[in-house]
Amino acid sequence: MTDQAAPAGEGAPALSPSRRRGPERLYTHRIARWIDSRLGAAKLARTALNKVFPDNWSFMLGELALYAFVVLVLTGIYLTFFFDPSTNEVVYRGSYEPLRGVEMSEAYRSALDLSFDVRAGLVMRQIHHWAALLFLAAITVHLARVFFTGAFRRPREINWIVGCTLLPLAMFNGLFGYSLLDDQLSGTGLRIVYGITISIPLVGTWAASLLFGGEFPGPDIIQRLYVIHILLVPALIAVLIAIHLAILVRHKHTQFPGPGRREDNVVGERFWPTYTFKALGLFFLTSAVLAFLGGVFQINPIWAYGPFDPAEVSTASQPDWYMGWLDGALRIMPGWEIRAFGFEIPNPFFPGVLLAGVTFALLYAWPFLEARVTGDYAEHHLLDRPRQRPVRTALGTATLSFYMILFFGAAADVLASTFGLSVNAILWTFRILVLAVPPIVAWVTYRLCKELSARDGLPVASQVTIREIPRRLRRGPAPETPGS
Amino acid sequence: MTEQTDPGARPPGARPPVGAEPQPAGDEPTRRGARAERSAAVSFLVATAAAIGLTIVYWQGGQAQLEGTLLAVVLGGIGVGIVLWAKHFMPSGDVTEERPPVASSEDDVAAFAADFEAGGSSVQRRRVLVATAGGACAALGVALLFPIRSLGPRPGRGFKQTAYRAGNIRVVVDDGTPVRPRDLPVDGFITVWPDGHTDDADASTLLIHFRSDQDFRPAPGREDWTVDDIVAYSKICTHVGCPVGLYQAASGLLLCPCHQSTFDVMRHARPVFGPAARSLPQLPLALDGDGFIIATGDFSGPVGPGFWDRGR
Amino acid sequence: MRPARLHRVLVALPLVLTVAVTPVLARSARSAGGPGGPGGDPGSGDGGDQALIAEGRELYETGCSSCHGINGRGVVEEGGGVRGPSLENSGEAAAYYYLSTGRMPLANSEEQPTRKEPAYGPEEIDALVAYVGTLGNGPAVPDVDPDAGDLAVGGEVFRANCQACHGAAGTGGALSYGRAAPRLTSATPKQIGSAVRVGPGEMPVFGPDVIDDEELNGLVRYVRYLADPEDPGGLPIGRTGPIPEGFVAWLIGMVALLGLVAWIGTRSPIRQTHGSER
Repeated sequence: MTDQAAPAGEGAPALSPSRRRGPERLYTHRIARWIDSRLGAAKLARTALNKVFPDNWSFMLGELALYAFVVLVLTGIYLTFFFDPSTNEVVYRGSYEPLRGVEMSEAYRSALDLSFDVRAGLVMRQIHHWAALLFLAAITVHLARVFFTGAFRRPREINWIVGCTLLPLAMFNGLFGYSLLDDQLSGTGLRIVYGITISIPLVGTWAASLLFGGEFPGPDIIQRLYVIHILLVPALIAVLIAIHLAILVRHKHTQFPGPGRREDNVVGERFWPTYTFKALGLFFLTSAVLAFLGGVFQINPIWAYGPFDPAEVSTASQPDWYMGWLDGALRIMPGWEIRAFGFEIPNPFFPGVLLAGVTFALLYAWPFLEARVTGDYAEHHLLDRPRQRPVRTALGTATLSFYMILFFGAAADVLASTFGLSVNAILWTFRILVLAVPPIVAWVTYRLCKELSARDGLPVASQVTIREIPRRLRRGPAPETPGS
Repeated sequence: MTEQTDPGARPPGARPPVGAEPQPAGDEPTRRGARAERSAAVSFLVATAAAIGLTIVYWQGGQAQLEGTLLAVVLGGIGVGIVLWAKHFMPSGDVTEERPPVASSEDDVAAFAADFEAGGSSVQRRRVLVATAGGACAALGVALLFPIRSLGPRPGRGFKQTAYRAGNIRVVVDDGTPVRPRDLPVDGFITVWPDGHTDDADASTLLIHFRSDQDFRPAPGREDWTVDDIVAYSKICTHVGCPVGLYQAASGLLLCPCHQSTFDVMRHARPVFGPAARSLPQLPLALDGDGFIIATGDFSGPVGPGFWDRGR
Repeated sequence: MRPARLHRVLVALPLVLTVAVTPVLARSARSAGGPGGPGGDPGSGDGGDQALIAEGRELYETGCSSCHGINGRGVVEEGGGVRGPSLENSGEAAAYYYLSTGRMPLANSEEQPTRKEPAYGPEEIDALVAYVGTLGNGPAVPDVDPDAGDLAVGGEVFRANCQACHGAAGTGGALSYGRAAPRLTSATPKQIGSAVRVGPGEMPVFGPDVIDDEELNGLVRYVRYLADPEDPGGLPIGRTGPIPEGFVAWLIGMVALLGLVAWIGTRSPIRQTHGSER
């Protein structure tokens, strides 16, 4: 590119846009020099501008989560200016007539005020809540993409662990967030949190008593959840996201195999200007979808639920969607408990604590388990096509089907009343399906992967079959082999 | 260092990537480009109009649906404009960047380890210091945990007892009115608390007036726990603690809406379906001198969900 | 007295007495609560119009007695199953509720009665209601006045007693073994009041000492409000809580976002060539 120096201060001649570089370049240069003389970052910044990012659509799913988080923080800050996390009892005198004169906590009252008497308060609340639901949906599809393409392999195991930590943090922050409002529905949810907590052997009652400040409901829980929800967890999430992105930049993004794409390069578009603008555009568009949902679709109508009363409950009491797998597990679980010598491990422990623990333990451990089984410890920057990894893909879809059945289990009573079915029959059906469906899904997926890769003439990446997995896990890490 | 090849230079034989435009140098107009520019400009203008509309709506008092959709149009308009700009006017050919292996050379790692060890030897060799320092830090850690203890009370008798334990307490509805048997019709049910404790969440109680044709069979030892076909059970589900609010009068079943635990009122509220593993604790009832229903003692067991030492 | 005049007096006297006495009896029957409540009086009936009752008896014998038996005594089949329960203490309120919501007549005694077009017209229902009222000492149709009720009090009563089965917005809910608490949005004030006092089907009975008449007015007003509640947030998507919200998040929100991502990003480079090169 030829440089065109234009005299400073003179109006630019009428050149075509590609030639009109003079004054603009001068200003950019001056600003860059001002910053660089204070930070010495010119070389680093230049590298950053020219960094290459592959632009496959499936690499943008994590961005969706990031932008949802930004919207959560922005709308959340607005809400904190109006919300009052106090449990002191007041009498409602606002503009929602069916609750006028009713006793409620300050927290619930401030939420009603936000919804009815603060201009734009309701739309901010609703955008915030829809953004939370989509934050978790985006994390889930992003996690699925990373899993099915094998993007968690060396050197990205640490980033996988960071991501696996972001998931439960986001889940719990959502749960705590909608529980702040002290309405009947979310209060019922907190009751269940308390009951699951005390089911933990040895320390359960202590943990619940310390967290809630005594027996349920306790006067302190709303204020404590407030601090956790607006400060502690968002700070953790922000730090982890920063680490997540930093590691990504350090490693450079993975890419699908294709023409010109190798393990030792990355092909795509430069960060500046293309990637920046596409990312910025996606941010605006994501926010647009969230704003649309927030204005058009009513969510969490707390005025209809009424203030929380520990002796009351409504039918169709479910948590937000991302907790549905736990709720469904609690419903499907038969009434078994372990009791001996006056001690017991109560029923909710198994679906509520044990299942959750095993779920996250397997999630965290997966990259290491897979490496151990396949004996593949090499660096990978080219992604797998799922069909080339029939075992991993089959186990992944089977696991997804397991949790999907649990999700539908949480809706059992709504399914029953919507379709005129017996809720008992539905739950019995789900008990059977949750055991029978995953193996079938695994088998079908396995066969499908094999057929598709055979049809495409692709080599299957790993020769390990499902039957060999237990033996390979036990045997321990095989001697390192390059590739697989 | 990174090495970059020119956009447009691709390995021989490879076809251009899908979506890449034929690359004019700079922004020379193409017909497709002109249309895209128009669309993007219109998009930005629509966004501007929506932003003005949004301020008007807000100024006029606000309305959630209008606020949300106008905001969506503003954000969406800007987003569409930016994306069109990026897709049509910014370089989109494939650029290649070298990707060196992440791992450093063996020498670098060894050098790091050597430097760390060299510096750390002054730590490692002083075993006495290491041991005493470790002890001090551990003690500090333990001490810092103690403020956590202030967060809540020791889980005590409250988990296993309720205010009914004082004995001979009237049961009252939430406004404090005591209950006579004739206040509760057959097939009726009502929530009550111990007198003076209507705020105790653990003491909420269901009074149920069953029909004489419902074959009520008390548990052994509880034959005199009912009054005039009125039985009392804890309202707190023994699964995870939701109020068991659904009474199916014809069938004599209590259903908890949270996870569908179902209890048989005629058989000491034992669980007949769902994840609950224990009956609802029963409250012994009697009549006092004025004909009001009283509880003669606490529930038959700790109320609510189970915990480790519930049976001790 | 001349025979014709005597005849007229003999006919008129019971009528006059019934008209005079019935409101007293009706009031005491109402306060006796649900069927079988102590202190109930026989023969409670609003108005006591003999012609109406006679018409009711005729309609009953044609349309109801096959399941509910002669004089409403009920029909028990061999083997012990109840084909139709006794109506002796059902009262007018039950008859009004079941007939005006179309739940009765029921074709098959096994199925759960659901709201349908009533099989009888309003005058026929009045007649049947009057007749059933004479069969025992069940509750009369309560005299509800929603406009006199306090909406907020009604909401509190609703949440304390009704939402557990019928849902916070009265959209209905599942009970055990295929039974259901129905949606309340089509119920009229008299139907709501009758159901509360009668406890039809699996519904418990809420007598005047549990929900007094003033609270009942508020409750009815609140349930009528639920037929068309405020939805300031936009589309209410079912008013059954987080389940439909989750569906909207995935099927509308996530689909939209994936569509955007597909527009902005590119497709896999593998699709451009056959096979992959390593």
